[in-house]
Amino acid sequence: MKIVECINVNKTYQQGQIKVHALRDISLVIEKGEFAAVAGPSGSGKTTLLNLVGGLDASDSGSIVVDGNAFDQMSQSQLANLRLHKIGFVFQAYNLIPVLSAAENVEFVMLLQGVTARERQQRAKAILDDVGLAGKYDRRPAELSGGQQQRVAVARAIVSSPSIVLADEPTANLDSKTGEGLLEMMQKMNEEKRVTFIFSTHDKMVMDYARRLIFLRDGRLVDDQVK
Amino acid sequence: MNRRAWNMSFIKFRHFFIMYLQLAWRNIWRNPRRTAVILTAVIIGIWSMILLGSLMRGIAVGMIENGISTLTGHLQIHHKGYRNDPAIENSITDPVVVENALREVLPKGSSWTARVRVSAVASNARHYSGVTLVGIDPVAEAKVSFIGTAISQGRYLNPGDHNGIIVGEALLEKFDTKLGRKLVLMSQDTHRENASRAFRIIGTFRAEMEATEKQFVFVMRKASHKMLRLGDGISEISILLPGKPDNPEIYDRLMTALPSEQFEVNTWRELLPFQTAYLRILDGFMWIWYFVVFVAMGFGIVNTTLMAVFERMREFGLLKALGMKPWWILREVLTESFLLLVTGMIIGNILAFICIYALSGSGIDLSALAAGAEYAGMTRVIYPAVALKDIFVSNLVVLLLGILVSTYPAVKAARFTPVEALAHT
Amino acid sequence: MSVDVKMAWRNIWRNPRRTILTICAIAFASLLLVFMLSFQFGSYETMINTSVKIHTGHLQVQADEYQDKKSIRLVVPNPEKIANLLDKIPKVEAYTFRGQAFSLISSKERTYGAVVKGIDPEREATVSRLKALIRQGDFLSKDDTDQALVGKLLARNLRVNIGDELTVVGQGRDGSIAATVVKVKGIYSSGIDEFDRASIHIPLETFQEVYTMRGVVHEVVVIADSLGDIDTIKRTIKANLLSLNLKKALTVLDWNELMPGLRQSIEMDLVSGVIFYFLLVLVVAFSILNTFLMAIFERTREFGVLMAIGTTPGRLTKVLLIESMTMTLVGIVAGIVIGSLVTVYFQSHGIDISGASELLSQFGITGRMYPKLSLLSAVSGPLAVLIITFFAAIYPALKVRRMRPVEAMRAV
Repeated sequence: MKIVECINVNKTYQQGQIKVHALRDISLVIEKGEFAAVAGPSGSGKTTLLNLVGGLDASDSGSIVVDGNAFDQMSQSQLANLRLHKIGFVFQAYNLIPVLSAAENVEFVMLLQGVTARERQQRAKAILDDVGLAGKYDRRPAELSGGQQQRVAVARAIVSSPSIVLADEPTANLDSKTGEGLLEMMQKMNEEKRVTFIFSTHDKMVMDYARRLIFLRDGRLVDDQVK
Repeated sequence: MNRRAWNMSFIKFRHFFIMYLQLAWRNIWRNPRRTAVILTAVIIGIWSMILLGSLMRGIAVGMIENGISTLTGHLQIHHKGYRNDPAIENSITDPVVVENALREVLPKGSSWTARVRVSAVASNARHYSGVTLVGIDPVAEAKVSFIGTAISQGRYLNPGDHNGIIVGEALLEKFDTKLGRKLVLMSQDTHRENASRAFRIIGTFRAEMEATEKQFVFVMRKASHKMLRLGDGISEISILLPGKPDNPEIYDRLMTALPSEQFEVNTWRELLPFQTAYLRILDGFMWIWYFVVFVAMGFGIVNTTLMAVFERMREFGLLKALGMKPWWILREVLTESFLLLVTGMIIGNILAFICIYALSGSGIDLSALAAGAEYAGMTRVIYPAVALKDIFVSNLVVLLLGILVSTYPAVKAARFTPVEALAHT
Repeated sequence: MSVDVKMAWRNIWRNPRRTILTICAIAFASLLLVFMLSFQFGSYETMINTSVKIHTGHLQVQADEYQDKKSIRLVVPNPEKIANLLDKIPKVEAYTFRGQAFSLISSKERTYGAVVKGIDPEREATVSRLKALIRQGDFLSKDDTDQALVGKLLARNLRVNIGDELTVVGQGRDGSIAATVVKVKGIYSSGIDEFDRASIHIPLETFQEVYTMRGVVHEVVVIADSLGDIDTIKRTIKANLLSLNLKKALTVLDWNELMPGLRQSIEMDLVSGVIFYFLLVLVVAFSILNTFLMAIFERTREFGVLMAIGTTPGRLTKVLLIESMTMTLVGIVAGIVIGSLVTVYFQSHGIDISGASELLSQFGITGRMYPKLSLLSAVSGPLAVLIITFFAAIYPALKVRRMRPVEAMRAV
């Protein structure tokens, strides 16, 4: 089952005086249950691709369809709604709302979806247990380590069973051991809960975990291999 | 140090100073929106300080000018005792002595006039009222007091008007009378007998205050002499000095020229206690106003500077790590505040002056509230008045206190240690 | 507690220093407004009450046109009928009758024109402060005839003291010459020069005899229980005047009409006060706007994340508004409480104004000034602060709506 389908996607940015061609004619299909890495050196267009697939940004041309929804026909608020229900995000850093506790951060998405308070609490605790944060429900982000913060972010991204989780260099700010732990956890979620993950990275170790590797260079798709 | 070396070090210093200011200036505009907002607060603050200050000053100036022109003058000379007991007995019987002294003492450009001034009762067939009878020399009087330019109906007094009288519009109305009608004045003459004499109304005057229009009636000095059997006597001499209203030197010279057992000399400050009192508390009010505006502004300045400092924590930490001394950072932050304040002050001052200029043409007309203005002792139209002192003080208050409150964030910035600053995200 | 409120509340305390400064600015403005407005209202009340108690009373019944012309012929006939009417009206605290005529007053040495007022000593004491203003000698008593109270400045001008004789010459109601000799019994000083220089008071009966005013008066002066009761009393009197069947047309005037200058000068002071306060609040508003704006720029990244995971801009706006309004409310409440406490303190202790006494005594304010806290003075200023800070908060809160998640997250 196709979760993501990109056809001939182009994207340019204006950076100061210079026009940056971030993505050129990207065509790509991602199936349900994949654990895929978008790899490439910095500036190759990884983040841009994830942003476009996540509906955070609009492409210049080409079409993107996520779980049957074609982005080019959707308004901003429809996109926001799609992100809320179908897409989970994990960013490099500053992922969490600093004033909310770990459990509240996870609950926040469900709150937006209108899940009842009781269910929210149960599910938040369960998922935090799953990502290895049992007993740390009430800690604020500042009281958690970087790896723990990213685990909360993953928990938040997968708690409402989205079609796909987009993680933009989730391990970039972590040491290698913590990063590995996070990836193992993500892998576990992928296997146990059948969550589809796409993450970007330029780290060899992270690529080893991926079951599919999509290589970008200067905005072009140069290689796509399934292990 | 020789001259050349002096020059060199001066040029070096100047270069350093300019670079230093440039750096601070650029830092201010790193966050233009924040700077614009706080600048607006400073501008409004200084603008309102100066504009409202000039209006309050304008009220005072209006009151005082009106007081001085309403038969007060800058200086007055009376027979000793007249001020306590303004009766006909306390007249100056031999004005020639005084006039000679005046000619000697007064600087060029002074004008003065001698009047008879007694309280009297005015009446016609239907009405009675207490008035002040003023016997004037029309030519000299016109140079000293308001009456020369205040005629609204009829005409001003001529030397030939033996029984002509000029009254205020309000009195005319109150007495249900008009030009050409008779008005009888009664007063006490030098023999303590009731003297009365009929006059014909030849003109009316308008004054700032309705009370003035009701109080004063003007006749020829000669006519008052005859009525009161006063000979050549006069009640007072009113003097207008050229230049500033206060001239202690002239005052002292008059005091020595005129024997104090016979005469008393008073300045307008003594003669107008109400206005003088207003002037005295005005300064207090201004200080309170400056302070209040400043505190309101001060919170903004501290908050903004504090935020700017925390935002640049890493930068300051880095500078320190590179070996910058804390006081340099302190000075840098203070210089930025200084530039911000000065910029705000310049714009605020310009705006205030534009407003003052715009208002100085027609003033603020309080005619609709004339009774209220009069009750409060104010003139009907307020013109803003610029006093250098007010401008100087308000700018100084903003600058000094502004720098003072900025020291808190500046000290904070200077205290960041490199490690904690670099760890800060 | 909803999560929005929870987030807002915790955000407020993320930067306690900034929050406290902002709250202080708001509290300062509110406090100042509460105190200043109370002070203004207090001084107005003092001005009104002293002027009313010296000259005019709250209300007067006079003949038509008497107020403008002050002609001795325009009298109130049958004052006892008015008295009967007033006795029946509730909230009338006291009333008295007066006659007045401009006359020449002569001592042995001097002659001055002044207004001679005929007063009923017993009733007058309940209506005006004249009795309390006596500085030398005594107030008139019930059976006095041919005695007079003289203003301090007039006494000085006439060079008279207690016990000296004054000759009064004027015109009676019928046009005849009215003349009598009275003895100075007391000298009063109100601080209002006009009053102290140009009036004497004699017993009403003597006045009526001298000026051929038997049985009639010029003014019926009424004091109400409070300023708020004046309108009702005025209406009641007006409605009943016709039914009294008096030959002459009478009118009821309240203190506004009796002293138009007082009312206007109060209005003028109020307007200039409002301008001052407006500017003050504006300066505060800019200080606050700055804080709100900065608080948002700082968190741009966070908003980006929030939007990325599906938070609608409307919700962000809501959270931001809850934040800024909570700060405002805390500041305002603190301002009202502290302002009220300060005001209440001065309300009982008074503020020394001796430095300005020469000036203010002309308006009947002497010694100490007392601010007066009321609901209006405690609430209206802070309400203005609330409204203007709300507008200061709206702009940054709406700015969030235009943020795009990608750009927001790229911001540092």
